[in-house]
Amino acid sequence: MRIHIRLGRDTGSEVIAYDLPSPKEAGISAASWEGASVSTALQYLQRAVDPGLGYVLSCRRGLCNICAAKIDGKVQTACTTPLHDGILIEPARDTLILRDTVVELSLVRKARIGANGAENSKSHAIAASRT
Amino acid sequence: MDVWDVIVVGAGAAGLAAARHARQQGASVLVINKGLVGRTGATITSGGGVSVAGSTLAALGLDGDPSDTEEVFIRDMLKSGYWLCDQRLVESIVTGIGEELRFLMQRGVKPRLSKRAPGHSSGRGVGIPGPDMQKAMTTAALQSGAKFREDFFCTGLLQHDGAVVGVAGLDRRLGEAEAISARAVVIATGGTTSNWRLRTAPEELTGDGHAMALNAGAELIEMEMLQFLPCCLVAPEIWRGIQFPWTIGPQAGVRAWLLNKYGERFLARWDPERMELATRDVVSAASAAEVYEGRGSPNGGVYLSWAHLPRDIIDNFQSWAKGYKDWRYQGFDMNPLVERIRAGYAIEVAPAAHFSLGGIRVDVEGSTGVPGLYACGEATGGVHGGNRLSGNAGAQILVQGRQAGLAAARAAQSNQAGAPAQNWDILKDEIEAPFRREQGTAPLEVKQRLTAIAEEALGPVRTGKAMTAALEEVRTIRHTTLSQLASRNRDPRYNRDWSDALECAAGAPILEAALISAIGRAGSIGAHQRRDLTGIKARLEHSIVRQDDGELSWRAQPVEFPLFAPAA
Repeated sequence: MRIHIRLGRDTGSEVIAYDLPSPKEAGISAASWEGASVSTALQYLQRAVDPGLGYVLSCRRGLCNICAAKIDGKVQTACTTPLHDGILIEPARDTLILRDTVVELSLVRKARIGANGAENSKSHAIAASRT
Repeated sequence: MDVWDVIVVGAGAAGLAAARHARQQGASVLVINKGLVGRTGATITSGGGVSVAGSTLAALGLDGDPSDTEEVFIRDMLKSGYWLCDQRLVESIVTGIGEELRFLMQRGVKPRLSKRAPGHSSGRGVGIPGPDMQKAMTTAALQSGAKFREDFFCTGLLQHDGAVVGVAGLDRRLGEAEAISARAVVIATGGTTSNWRLRTAPEELTGDGHAMALNAGAELIEMEMLQFLPCCLVAPEIWRGIQFPWTIGPQAGVRAWLLNKYGERFLARWDPERMELATRDVVSAASAAEVYEGRGSPNGGVYLSWAHLPRDIIDNFQSWAKGYKDWRYQGFDMNPLVERIRAGYAIEVAPAAHFSLGGIRVDVEGSTGVPGLYACGEATGGVHGGNRLSGNAGAQILVQGRQAGLAAARAAQSNQAGAPAQNWDILKDEIEAPFRREQGTAPLEVKQRLTAIAEEALGPVRTGKAMTAALEEVRTIRHTTLSQLASRNRDPRYNRDWSDALECAAGAPILEAALISAIGRAGSIGAHQRRDLTGIKARLEHSIVRQDDGELSWRAQPVEFPLFAPAA
């Protein structure tokens, strides 16, 4: 299966294509990639292909929304979206990019403390100017 | 802020209750979360039950049976916990939950009363969906004036002459180790179920708080006790651990059948009267035993079947069971699965690690016994003994959160010194080591190995042989492999390898604690079922683990019965 990912990095954000090996070769307990989620693919790529790949994952059932990404042009939770050949995975919103697929989704930003006690920590978003 | 009065580690309902109550006592409060506040943690994933005695419900103006007294509720909990519960903790929760429910109702949460759940002798289930509970608690903590630190992974406790004086951890956004000082610390990091492969829990419950507490001198209790939720999906991969079949089957009272590969209703051998409607521990143990004996389904489960029922039972389910509109369950469209059921197929299901019954040992104030260190919620142990009834976790997290928050605020007042940490250099070095190391073992491989070990040796069915082999491997990982874990990625920010390595460093001692507890408890009781010692009932003793000079040790301690004693 071939998937396409556009990552938000300091170095740029072009679309990269990945050819996934069979789930068995990839060490994934799925009969086919179609039965696995976008999150599982990101987890596999970080483990086996690009150790620097940034992704987040928590509830794995579409409740917490931290894994939100733009998938085939629509923002949805990566953990509940099944893979298909030719899928396009992008950051949920470019102005919120923190790293790769990770975007700023804090609910408590106004009451947040930054490193070493700094009040109202600023978002570390790197790419406000990027579109 | 140089020194916070109270630091709360974890931002599920327990941690946020602690933060709010400490704040209301005038303490300055920092809530630290490994992920994002209001999103990560187990609260949002909970089915949303809060159990409350009928008399308490009636006093709140809700529809409860006044004859269902607190005493009746306490007795139900002790009985279902196989008389292993810490009775003072049970009493505190049963008598304290009314006040916390009143608070949630004042905040606009609309509780939905449910009928009697298995093991409860009266209708006590107050339904509050997990996301609603999380939202109400987050808003309340924010409005109380608590401050927050996100994507900060606490790995250790700062100490001065044994007393806890703050936390140390990794800012995952920046990739920097940092020490944060406090006069008191509350651990609310949730359970340890992310160390199991098939689980209902979110990703982050690796037992970080447990490992920190052990290192600081606190004790763990009943670490072998893990609740499995029966009838969770095993395939496809995207649905693994989802409880949907259970909720449209036995949990809803729908008479679906559990079958092994021969089509036998194997619960007849375990609970011939209640069959699939037996309590969760029995259904889990029975299902796992079928797989262990080689009578399971292809993906390591058993079959849950509706095929003997007319199709109307499924078709009309949505009209009386709330929350199944369009067959959406949590974030998933379950129509394909429902279609399979309609077509007469059974669904492969297995018990998934669901809730940590054991954890950090605390008293009713949430004190761990280590000066300045408190804990609450699923991170603690001893409340539920050998099994937990539905809805009791909701009550536990709210009441224990309050107790720990109040006690930590009091401790902060009497501890004005803000003593300097003596172990920051050591903790900093432990945090930075996996990132500094350029060559070594990839952390996720070890993390996944740990979950495989847990699944094999610490499932609903256990044998001495498997547990002994697992203990040997976990000890090797803890003493050798952990010091070889290396980040393959040289960018410190959002570095998965680095945080995976730190999660392994928490998970390994936690599994070792669970294994020595499980081996120590020679016999079967509640969630701890020894396949090689069936019929040998374990004694009514607590399982206690502590750490001295880096070595874990286990001891048994007889259960006390200050309120009620089991019938002889």
